[in-house]
Amino acid sequence: MYKDGMTYVHQKNSDGLTIMDKTLKREINLARNIQSQLLNGKTPVFDGGEVSGSSVPARLIGGDYYDFYPLVNGKIRIVIGDVMGKGIPAAMLMILTRGAFRSAAETTKSPADTLTSMNQALYADLRTLKSFVTLLCADWDPETSTLTYANAGHNLPLYIKGKEQVVQELPKIKGIMVGGLPNQVYNNHSIQLHDKDTVFFYTDGIIEAQNHNKEQYKLERLVQTLMENKQKCVGDIEKCVMESIEKFTEGAPQRDDITMVLLKISDQKAEITSLNSPLMK
Amino acid sequence: MLLTVEKEVQNVTTILKVKGLIDITTTNIIEPYLEEMDGMETVILDFSGLEFIDSTGIGSIMNAIYLSREKNFTLKLQGIDEMTNDVFETVGLYEILEAFHGEVI
Repeated sequence: MYKDGMTYVHQKNSDGLTIMDKTLKREINLARNIQSQLLNGKTPVFDGGEVSGSSVPARLIGGDYYDFYPLVNGKIRIVIGDVMGKGIPAAMLMILTRGAFRSAAETTKSPADTLTSMNQALYADLRTLKSFVTLLCADWDPETSTLTYANAGHNLPLYIKGKEQVVQELPKIKGIMVGGLPNQVYNNHSIQLHDKDTVFFYTDGIIEAQNHNKEQYKLERLVQTLMENKQKCVGDIEKCVMESIEKFTEGAPQRDDITMVLLKISDQKAEITSLNSPLMK
Repeated sequence: MLLTVEKEVQNVTTILKVKGLIDITTTNIIEPYLEEMDGMETVILDFSGLEFIDSTGIGSIMNAIYLSREKNFTLKLQGIDEMTNDVFETVGLYEILEAFHGEVI
């Protein structure tokens, strides 16, 4: 019998899976590996602070996104985003978003310009696919200890003050999601950070993580966890947040991906020249 | 049922009262109601019975906003609780609604 490439035999093997089941499973795992490798790529190393990021999909693959892009002037461009939907469709759009960010980061001067350029590049495709992406983009300047950020419909990062018992949202800046309206112009806002301050970027999957009783983790628990562990390094704070969420959810399946990015400032000043832009490790 | 939609038609106005969750598992229930709004001047989406909305649900509301231009009706949103209002405000849904001459009532 002739079979083309689209024809599968629906006969079950001893393990109860058809050939199509097995092919799909293998391809989803390959897609998961691709996404995981792209997402958990190199982290920039620089004087005057440290960054770290991690993402856990609710399904095999997810639609959350974060990235670091070291700029030649010594700044680090950070982005975190959440693609509408879940699973494979969201993962495909996440890869599209990553490409748009990397290309925009290279050619734009500020986080707002990056978001403006990304909306310009992605709007038509996202409308065709009836989708959208929320993004928050920030530049950390180790030379001036300034964080400049712009928002496209994403929840505001948390600002954990190193020398005070305070965790609060970064000052509000508005901007609509990428893919919502054409020709959007986004705005920047800057704040001065100090020694031992931490900025926690995240997606709503963290505060909406649910336990078996359908209770949510909520912002209050996140703030408490960050307050209790703020003296630690970024990698350890990240682990503490994940452990706290896991303890709360007790293995309950999650509806949404969980993603966080941390930036922590240390007193050590960088001597920025064009030759010592951040390294990727 | 995770989501029910109650439809009320008064002349050229349709009110869609949603009850339950608008998420990735239920948007296929609400979308057909929005597709059949030909000839309507006003469509009111009533969220008084909404328990939860995720990003796919917000995508459906966005599609309704775009559809209002295509089918020439005014979309109005009502009965939005504080939590949903925060989400709509964060993502910028109200700006899109305004750009398409819709409103929150």
